[in-house]
Amino acid sequence: MIEELRNKARELLKTKQVEAVIGYQRASDGLSAIPCVIRSEEEAGRLIWDAACVYNLCGYLKDFRAKKLGIVAKACDVRAMIVLISENQLNRDDVFIIGMECCGVVDEKRARVSGRDGSDISSADKCKSCASCVPLAYDCLIKEKREKAKVSEDADKDKYEPVRKLEAKSLSEKSKSWKDEFKRCIRCYACRQVCPMCYCPRCVADQFMPVWFSKAGGIEGNFSWNVARAMHLAGRCIDCGECERACPVGIPLRDINRKIEKDIKELFGYEAGMKTDAKPFLACFDKNDPEDFIK
Amino acid sequence: MINPRTQELKNSRAESWEPKIAAFLCNWCSYAGADLAGTSRREYPPNIRIIRLPCSGRVNPLFVLKCLMDGADGVLIAGCHTGDCHYSEGNYYARRRFAILKKLFEFLGIDPRRFQMAWVSASEGDKWVKVVKELVEEIKKAGPILAKS
Repeated sequence: MIEELRNKARELLKTKQVEAVIGYQRASDGLSAIPCVIRSEEEAGRLIWDAACVYNLCGYLKDFRAKKLGIVAKACDVRAMIVLISENQLNRDDVFIIGMECCGVVDEKRARVSGRDGSDISSADKCKSCASCVPLAYDCLIKEKREKAKVSEDADKDKYEPVRKLEAKSLSEKSKSWKDEFKRCIRCYACRQVCPMCYCPRCVADQFMPVWFSKAGGIEGNFSWNVARAMHLAGRCIDCGECERACPVGIPLRDINRKIEKDIKELFGYEAGMKTDAKPFLACFDKNDPEDFIK
Repeated sequence: MINPRTQELKNSRAESWEPKIAAFLCNWCSYAGADLAGTSRREYPPNIRIIRLPCSGRVNPLFVLKCLMDGADGVLIAGCHTGDCHYSEGNYYARRRFAILKKLFEFLGIDPRRFQMAWVSASEGDKWVKVVKELVEEIKKAGPILAKS
């Protein structure tokens, strides 16, 4: 599979179909994978592919706009690209998607604890509820040969069950637990930087006129930032889980993202990044949208 | 969840507490509706602070967030009934946006009574009075936002 990937990258660079290929290379710890940009055929040998390829590389596409690029992408990464394309942030013709059949990636934090032998490496939470191992769109597909690419056993289960459990708590419990979570936020904005969907040249959090919420680390500013971040991802988040992975204080950001994802699916029947021709969720409407909350 | 300065202010007035409610009204229907209530000499609680906007579609979720964080006890958004929007479809966009925000607030532990939406047309002065009366009642029950958080 890796050889197939490297050969494809060589071919693309040789025939000048792309200027560079964005993929993964082995990190110096010999275990994890880090992003790399391959610009020549000789470098293609650095490319790797395995369960350590956790990152969503779509964010880099924004840095190379209007250049022909190849990108190594999992099913979830391709959903992010579909959203970017629907928002005119990316031109489909500018990107050559090397789709990877994926059996799930590891949970980076847990893997680090379990040590280097890799005996107890469990897959990331996002993979447990993922039902698609083949990307929705690709220019070439690299198939999983070692073992048959399998859909996670948990995929049939209600993927929003954890969200439902949180919803069922009382208002004061919810208020308290989220306050405790947001209290820890240090406003490093790692969740924003790592997010493939956050591309505003000037983020609302950095604006001075108006100052939408306090820039100092305090519960009220932290709360506002986290709500604003979540709202800006409404109908766009594809649950790649990068924000939660990047969060240095471990705020369960995916719970918030998935809550919104669930509501949008249940109320409006919309799922981000599942259709290549869909309009962005908040940029369209249906005359029959539910309005039972309006007086 | 609120700024200490506001908290202090709140405490000093705790006994005679009256809710403060920010209301975003669309210029074409709801503002005219509220105006009608006034010119018809209808009485309703003075707890509401009206902010006139061109359309309910103009309301950014950040407006709501900022009001609540800076001490408003409740936020109301009022616009034209669906199909009546002066700009044809602004309120349809607003409806989608705030359906999500309302659910999110509840998920994060903000009392859903604090954030409400209503369709009030220019001829519905009576409805406006009813909406405000109910809202103020509910927010009084919910209590000051700071004490709760």
